[in-house]
Amino acid sequence: MTAQFEFLPAWPLHAAPSLWVAVALIAAVFVGEMFARTGWLPRVTGYILTGLVVGPGMLAVIGGSTMADWRLVVELALGILLFELGTRVNLRWLGSNRWLVVSSLLEAGLSFGAVFLILRYFGTPHAIAATAATITIATSPSIVVRIAAELRAQGQVTERLMLHTALNSIYAAVGVNLMVGVLHHEFRGSLLEAVLYPVYLLCSSVLVGTGFAMVFRRVERWLGNHEEVLSFLLLGMIALAVSVSATLNVPPLLPLLLAGVVVRQIRGRTLVYPQHFGSAGAVLIIVMFVLSGVSIAPQQLMQGAAVAAILVLGRVLAKIAGILAIARPSGLSWRQATALGVGLAPLSGVALLLTLDTGTLFPEFGKAVQSALLGSIVVLELVGPVMTFAALKLAGEANQ
Amino acid sequence: MPLQSFSQSKPLTMGVELELQLLSTTTYDLVASAEDLLRIVGRRPHPGEVKPEMTSSMIEISTSAQSCYQSLLDELRDMRGALLEAARFLNIAVAGGGTHPFQHWGERKIFDAPRFKHLSELYGYLAKQFTIFGQHVHIGCPGPDEALRLLHLFGRYIPQFIALTASSPIVQGFDTQFDSARLNSVFSFPLSGRAPYVLSWTDFGRFFDKMTGTGVVESMKDFYWDIRPKPEYGTIEIRVCDTPLTVEKAAALAGYVQSIARYLLVEAPFRPDEDDYLVYAFNRFQACRFGLGGQLVDPRTHERIQIGDDIMDTLSHIEQHAIELGAEDACKAVRDSLTAGNDAQWVRRRYAAEKSLPEVVRQQSEYWASGK
Repeated sequence: MTAQFEFLPAWPLHAAPSLWVAVALIAAVFVGEMFARTGWLPRVTGYILTGLVVGPGMLAVIGGSTMADWRLVVELALGILLFELGTRVNLRWLGSNRWLVVSSLLEAGLSFGAVFLILRYFGTPHAIAATAATITIATSPSIVVRIAAELRAQGQVTERLMLHTALNSIYAAVGVNLMVGVLHHEFRGSLLEAVLYPVYLLCSSVLVGTGFAMVFRRVERWLGNHEEVLSFLLLGMIALAVSVSATLNVPPLLPLLLAGVVVRQIRGRTLVYPQHFGSAGAVLIIVMFVLSGVSIAPQQLMQGAAVAAILVLGRVLAKIAGILAIARPSGLSWRQATALGVGLAPLSGVALLLTLDTGTLFPEFGKAVQSALLGSIVVLELVGPVMTFAALKLAGEANQ
Repeated sequence: MPLQSFSQSKPLTMGVELELQLLSTTTYDLVASAEDLLRIVGRRPHPGEVKPEMTSSMIEISTSAQSCYQSLLDELRDMRGALLEAARFLNIAVAGGGTHPFQHWGERKIFDAPRFKHLSELYGYLAKQFTIFGQHVHIGCPGPDEALRLLHLFGRYIPQFIALTASSPIVQGFDTQFDSARLNSVFSFPLSGRAPYVLSWTDFGRFFDKMTGTGVVESMKDFYWDIRPKPEYGTIEIRVCDTPLTVEKAAALAGYVQSIARYLLVEAPFRPDEDDYLVYAFNRFQACRFGLGGQLVDPRTHERIQIGDDIMDTLSHIEQHAIELGAEDACKAVRDSLTAGNDAQWVRRRYAAEKSLPEVVRQQSEYWASGK
C-alpha cells in the first residue's frame, strides 16, 4: 500500500507559497477593474488594497517570507518606473523656465518645514524629525508614473508632475543620505562614518546611473533603432542596474532615476519605448503594487492615526502652497497649479523603504516616530493615487 | 446676415496665416497645450497675432499686411522667435508640416471656444480629423470685382501652390503615397471645393443670400473653398497650401503668389473662363498625389505638362513683377525648391533614414526652429 500512488501529493494538500501570490494577483486585477469602472478610482488603489487585505495585517495568507522571495520583482518594477520617470525629465526645461526651480525648491522646502514642525510639536527629537521630514519630501515616483500611464495623461500638469516628482525624489534621497550621516554622528559618534557614508551612496549612485547611460549608448548604436529590441535592451539593463545597486548596497532610487535622466540628455534622438516596456513590465508593476499593499501594517495606522492625519494634511497643504505661490510666473493657471499641488500628494513604498532602511540602521529612530510616519504612508499610499488621479482629470489632461 | 461689403485694402499687399503643431518634447506626439501657449505668448508684445484653432494641439499665427517679401519674412521670423521662447518656457516643441504623422485623431481635444464646440457638434469626427495644418495666403485686391476675377484666374495656379508646399505625406503612421494628404481631409467637408463662378460682387452677394436663405451657411467662414474672398480684409485668401516645414518657405510661397497676382492684374494675360474648372479637380488631385512630378492638363490647349515645368514657365513670366515687388529672392527660393524637392520629400527622406516617426517629428521641429 505504501509503495502505490506515490505520485499523488500528500493529503491534506499543501499549497505552494507562490499560490497565494498568484491568487492575490488575480484578485487584484478584479478589484482594479472594479475601481476603474467607478471613473474616479485608479486601478493602483485596487492593487494596493488587495495586497493590504491578503497581507499579514488582515487575512495573513501572504507573509514576510514571501515578500523576501519576490524582492527582485518589486525592485525590477520600481526600477522600470524610476527609469521611465527619468526619461521624462528635460533638464533644458529648467534652463528656459527658471521659475520651475524656484517652485520645486519652495514646494520641497515647505513640505519639509510642515512635517518637521508637526513632528517637533509632538516631541520628536530634532535629528529624527528632520530625517522624517526629508523622507516625506518625495512624491511617489511609481504612483505618479503609473497613474499618468493609466490616464494616458498629457499636458502641462502631467509634465510638471513628473518633473517635480523626479526632483523632490532626488532631494529626498540625497537629503536622507546626508541625514543618515548626521544620525551616525549623533547616535554612534563616528565622524568619519558620518561623512563617508553619504559620500559613498551619492558617488555610487552617480556612477551606476551614468555608467548605465554610457553602456546603453554604445550598445544601442550597434543594435540600431528598432523599438522592440531597444525596449528588451533597456529592460535587461534596468535589471542589471538594480542588481548592481544591490551589490553595492545602494538603494536603487537614485541610480535608476539618474540613468533615465542621463540617457535622455546625452541622446539627441527621441527615445521611444512602449509604456513599462510592454505588458511584461506592466505585470511586474501590478505585482509590485500588490506587494506594497502587503507590506502595509494596518495596526500602525491605528496607533499613529491622529498624528498621521495631521502629518498628511500638513504635507499636502504645504505642497499645494509651494506650487500656488509660483503658479503665475512659472506659467500655470490657478486651476492647473492646484491640480499639480494635489497631484504631488502620494507618498510611497520608496519612502517606506527609506524609513525601514533608516530604521534598521538606527533602532532609536524607529521607536520614536515610525508608527506615525508609517501611518501617513498608509493613508497616502491608499488615498494619494486617488488624489493624483483626480488632479489630472481636473486639469483636463486625462485621455481615457 | 447679408454679405458684408468688401473693405479697402492696399492692392498686392499680402498676409500669411500658418497653423502649427504643438508637440511633447518626450514623445513628439501632439499635445493639447494651445491654451497654455496663448497665455504665455500674450504676456509680451509680439508682431502679428497668435490664435487658437479647432483642436488644442494646434495654434495659428498670422502676420500683419505686408507689401514686400523681405518685411514679411522678417515678421514671420520675429513671430517664430516669440513663439519658440514661449514654447520652451512650457517644454513644448513646435513644428510645421501639413499633418502630424502618427497622431491618433480620436485623442484630440476640441479647443474650448463656442465656435469650435459648435463645429465639433455639427461635423462630428471630421472636426477632430481636422487636426491638419495649412498655410493661408491673403492678397490685397483693388476692389471686389477685381477680387473675384483674380480668384478665378488663380484657379489655374492652385496645383502649383499645392505641389510647392506639400508636406503631409504620412498620416496615422503610414505613408499615404500623397505629397499632400492633408487636403483629402478638407475635401470631406460639404462646403469645400471651389467658389461658384461669378465675377461681380453683386452676383456673389446674390449667391450668398441664396445660400444663407437655405440655412446651410451663416457666414463666409462656413465655406471651406480653396480660394475665398475675405471681404472684411479686402483680400482673397488662398487656402490650399500645407504649412511648410519652415517660415522661410512660407514667406517664399507668399512672395511667389504676390508676384503672380501682379502679373495677372497688370498684364491680364488671359481672361477667366468657367471651362477652366473642367480640369480643376483632376489637376488638383495630381498635385496632391504626385507633388512637383504631377501632370497638369491645360484646360485650353489640353496639353499635359509636369507641375515642376509649369512652375519654371510661370517663373519666367513673372520675373519683372517679382523685381518690381522686391520678391526676387522669394522666386529664387521657389526655383531652388524645384531641384531640392518639396517638404513631403524631406519628410520621406528623414523617415527612410531614421525609421522612427517620433524622431522625424523631432527633426521637423528643429528644422522649424532654425529654418535650416
